[in-house]
Amino acid sequence: MSRRYVNYKVLLFGLVVIGVSILLIGVLWVSTRPSQPIGADTAILPSAFNTDGFARAIDPWLWEFPRDHGPHPAFQSEWWYYTGNLTTASGRRFGFQFTIFRRALLPERRNSKSEWYSNQIYMAHFTVSDIAAGTFYQEERFSRGAADLAGAEISPRFRVWLDDWSVQASDDSAATMSIHAKADGYAIELVLTQVKGPALQGVGGLSQKGPEIGNASYYYSLTRLATEGTVIIGGEEFSVDGTSWMDREFGTSALSEGAVGWDWFALQLSDGRDLMVGQIRSEDDSTEPAFGGLLVSADGQTRYLPADVITITPRGTWQSKHSGATYPAGWEIAVTIDSTPLRLLLEPLLADQEVRGSVTYWEGAVRVSGDATGYGYAELTGYAQPIRGMF
Amino acid sequence: MAITVVSRLAYRALQRRLLQSALFLFSIVAGVALVVGVDVAAESARRAFALSTASLQGNATHEIVGGPSGVPTSLYRRLRTNLGIRTAAPVVQSTVREGASGLALTLMGIDPFAETQMRQFLADAAVSGATGVSGQALLRLLAEPNTVLVSESVAARLGVEPGDTFELFTTQNRETFTLAGTIRPWNDLSRQALAALVIADIATAQEFLDTPHVLTRIDLILTDAQTLLEVREALPPGVALRPAESNRQTLAQLSDSFTLNLQALSLLALVVGMFLIYNIMSFSVVQRRVQIGMLRAIGATRRQILASILLEALVFGVVGTFLGVAAGYFLGGFLVGAVTRTITDLYYRVEVQVLTLSTFTVAKGVATGLIASLGAALLPAIGATRVTAASALRSVDAEQTTRTHVDLAAAAGLVVLAAGFGLTQLQTRSLFFGLGALFLILMGCILFTPAALLLAMRSVQPVSGLLFGTLGRIAPRAIVRSLSRTGVAVAALALAVSVIVGVSVMIASFRGTVTEWLDGALTADVFISAPASGLLETINIDPSLTTLLQEVPGVTHVATARDVPVLAPDYPQLPPVNLVAISTNPQQVSPSRRFVWLAVEQDEVWEAMQAGAIIVTESFAYRRRITAEDYALTLLTDQGPRTFPIVGVFYHYGTDQGIVLMADSVYRDLYADPWVSSFVLFVTPETSSESVVENVRRLVADQGLVVQGTRALRTEVFAIFDRAFNITAALRSLVAIVAFIGILSALMALQLDQKRTLGTMRALGLTAGQLWRLTFLVTGLMGLAAGLFALPIGLLLAKLLIDVINVRAFGWTFAYIVPAGSLLQAVLIAMVAALLAGIYPAWRVSRLAPAEAIRNE
Repeated sequence: MSRRYVNYKVLLFGLVVIGVSILLIGVLWVSTRPSQPIGADTAILPSAFNTDGFARAIDPWLWEFPRDHGPHPAFQSEWWYYTGNLTTASGRRFGFQFTIFRRALLPERRNSKSEWYSNQIYMAHFTVSDIAAGTFYQEERFSRGAADLAGAEISPRFRVWLDDWSVQASDDSAATMSIHAKADGYAIELVLTQVKGPALQGVGGLSQKGPEIGNASYYYSLTRLATEGTVIIGGEEFSVDGTSWMDREFGTSALSEGAVGWDWFALQLSDGRDLMVGQIRSEDDSTEPAFGGLLVSADGQTRYLPADVITITPRGTWQSKHSGATYPAGWEIAVTIDSTPLRLLLEPLLADQEVRGSVTYWEGAVRVSGDATGYGYAELTGYAQPIRGMF
Repeated sequence: MAITVVSRLAYRALQRRLLQSALFLFSIVAGVALVVGVDVAAESARRAFALSTASLQGNATHEIVGGPSGVPTSLYRRLRTNLGIRTAAPVVQSTVREGASGLALTLMGIDPFAETQMRQFLADAAVSGATGVSGQALLRLLAEPNTVLVSESVAARLGVEPGDTFELFTTQNRETFTLAGTIRPWNDLSRQALAALVIADIATAQEFLDTPHVLTRIDLILTDAQTLLEVREALPPGVALRPAESNRQTLAQLSDSFTLNLQALSLLALVVGMFLIYNIMSFSVVQRRVQIGMLRAIGATRRQILASILLEALVFGVVGTFLGVAAGYFLGGFLVGAVTRTITDLYYRVEVQVLTLSTFTVAKGVATGLIASLGAALLPAIGATRVTAASALRSVDAEQTTRTHVDLAAAAGLVVLAAGFGLTQLQTRSLFFGLGALFLILMGCILFTPAALLLAMRSVQPVSGLLFGTLGRIAPRAIVRSLSRTGVAVAALALAVSVIVGVSVMIASFRGTVTEWLDGALTADVFISAPASGLLETINIDPSLTTLLQEVPGVTHVATARDVPVLAPDYPQLPPVNLVAISTNPQQVSPSRRFVWLAVEQDEVWEAMQAGAIIVTESFAYRRRITAEDYALTLLTDQGPRTFPIVGVFYHYGTDQGIVLMADSVYRDLYADPWVSSFVLFVTPETSSESVVENVRRLVADQGLVVQGTRALRTEVFAIFDRAFNITAALRSLVAIVAFIGILSALMALQLDQKRTLGTMRALGLTAGQLWRLTFLVTGLMGLAAGLFALPIGLLLAKLLIDVINVRAFGWTFAYIVPAGSLLQAVLIAMVAALLAGIYPAWRVSRLAPAEAIRNE
């Protein structure tokens, strides 16, 4: 018996030694793990560069189209943002988001012999929401704005592209544009035609994002683009038509200190009206009073909506099992226009429309009911991480 | 039980004979250590190269490469935007040097956005920027001019930290770079990958290297056949798609011949070591003769005796092998410097970060060690089983059987020789078979040695009798009487000396041929190029320098050469072709160039070349089986594959990979390549080339170019040459040491064997002085015999090394030059070794009291 006891002790000791060793190795392994691997995604995230030298959105912009569809490299950030709700003849619904972001690393280009040199980085997000199947497809891409790999141009015609993803005008005035994007397992081929002209957001296209001068962007939208084409899921092609929305912004560091993100809604109502409402949220749970909304009537007339006439009330939440972030899901939006209230109920067509790339946010198709019906897109940022400084 | 008693006795025997045990161990340790050490050095270099190539290629399955004009960016754009291939990454790569140290580094220009899936070492490594944020370091790389990343170890070598600056230069540019961040290696692979790497944004690399529109290659991950087909169809002429893996292999095989030759030489050392073990085991059996007889008398079986002797050998073998592998690993550490130096001189730049001790190397070391110890002990062990209780008291019986063994050995030698020569006649180019034949022929010759010794001693007897009187007559007879010892000792010594002779003659022949070739090749006066960095690097020099050089006082003519690797589609398994485009008639640069064959008249070569013909070197022709009957070569040009007639094959010893000479005008028509790689200047007879060298050096001071006169270049060529043979020479000396110990132990066995005879002679009035003389006569005769036998064997060995091994390994033929001095030296080495080895046994015998020596135990 005593012999056995000794053996147990030896065994115990051995186990302890092995355990401690594993622990030590584990600790060493974890501590030597690189904290931030090199990769394209880390490149665009932290803004190592200050905004010195870039133009700011301060004065009213002298808008000219189609010129302003093209790039504005004097500003640090710019984006071409397309969202839309599409249906097949049999009523199967799809949502899509196709966005190309431009971000300047430095305000000035240096002289370089190399065609690979650029001070511009492009990022693209492409998502498709297959409502019937309950599937959300997404892909993110990066490229330098050089060697014709990515870029934006207005001459000879409007075009913005990254690799084989592109939006280009079919005519000189860019009244019609087409989107080509093929990702892993899904693709879209769409032709978009302007039903209404550019609608200037904010005050004459100067959209204030904070109280400070310059914390603003130049912002316009094509709120109603008649859309037709195909959506390809796996091997299957769907002929679709519907309505898209294009958002265009350019500026330099628009968000103020303390801003964590925004909720943004682009709604296309069946009565022909389009409505943009949004709010910029601060760390202290307040919202930015300088940022308002826009109502575009069926004939294209626009009307600025100050923040105090808009109420956005979440009606539920959804927690992402991917990022762990909790987003509001479903809203009641109340807008008072000429003392006439407009009460709209919004409901996501799909709960999980979370985009997880270098930035994590929720961008998805929603259905509108209440005083008016329609479809639209909602964008919720700053729920997984603060978004200030990124755009 | 009985076996343990026998083993215990063996253990006692071991204890008592410490010196022998040490010698046995030494031979195994030395032999195994050499085999393992050379393997470790070669394997480490190879693995380091393979690893750094592999890790630089990352996860790429394929690569698109071009000729000297590189790969156009438009192709990359097409792959991405038209074919929608996401797993493609552009690379711009070249060797650069650090300003202060001149350290050669690989500058790799990448597009960080294309890297995410491609290079593991980038994905795994953490970047510390000046502020510790990796993204920030990467953004600086993209946004700021002349910013780079290096590994922490490179940063330490350069003595810089993030934010510091340092200079890099090429033959065209010298610029200050800022270290944007350091990369921490994550494992051995990334450590190797980053060992001499400077990472920059692709634009920075293109700006610095002055190649704004050219990519070195495009790395691709292609997994489905359809995409592969699409890519292949999208390729413009002048570029090729190839599997990344096969490229690594063809490149790594560049140095195979060199390392295989080293490995063969190390194996030879082990064979010499086996002779040593044979001697020691025989000696130990002789010493224990009586003991074995007694064991037999008390009932030990022959099998037990055999087992105990073999067990003893095995124990030594295991211990020696273990120590040998360990020693080999350390020896490898010493050898690897010399091996990589030569590989870098001749083939590719490689830096070994970690020594590789592969299981294969260990297995090889263990197998050779155990087989060598058991194999060498087998004959003495069998001999020991012949000892009977009665015969233990006699010694003659052993010698009678030896006589029959001598005949047997000679007969076996004949068979082995025939097999060896047969093997050389095989229609094969296999280096392995060549080395096999070499070993067989060497063994065959050695097996003849005892018979030759018998004959030689019988014929020398009258002469030595005349010279040295009675002792002179006794000495040869003593050698013959103990043929079982003396035969093996002389054979071992002859083997060792013949290796020395063979390798010396081979090196001398090679050196002589290279000297003669250089005299013919180096007729220009001043040579301008970049520091040598192996075959794989392309050196770009601005051709406008030609005009400046022409204006240097005293220069009559400037010739340029463009040295580039070009793909030959017909030889996918061979490394790219080294194409040299020359601006001047090669006959003018080296008028005495010798040709293996010429399809045109000597003075029409240049005319033919200007019309599009090429000439190639002998080793190039050998490797690609180009003969006077089958003479065309297809090369990938910017306009697609083009076939060139070969009008001549010339002797050239600059590289064993061979080169192709093309007229510069033809080259420039086919390749959009503005650069040149080197210049040669001819000066007027009244100008001293030193003054021109000085003037040119001032002219190109900033470009990191090497300007040399004929003499300096010659010295450099021979320095490289000598470095390449350093290890060979070192191994040769080791063989000599092993042989010396072999003869020492053999002589000790011999003296012990003759203890009684010598005792009797002493009793009969032989003085101690006479005994010394007798011993030296015996050992001197043996040394002389070994030395003389070694000469023909060594010359034959050299002949085989030159005609079979070098042709197969390097594709070179060279003159057979026999330096008379080294032959004489070899005989002297053999005699001195034998005489020196005789001192200790002679001293022991002379101290023997006659009575004790005669006494029968």
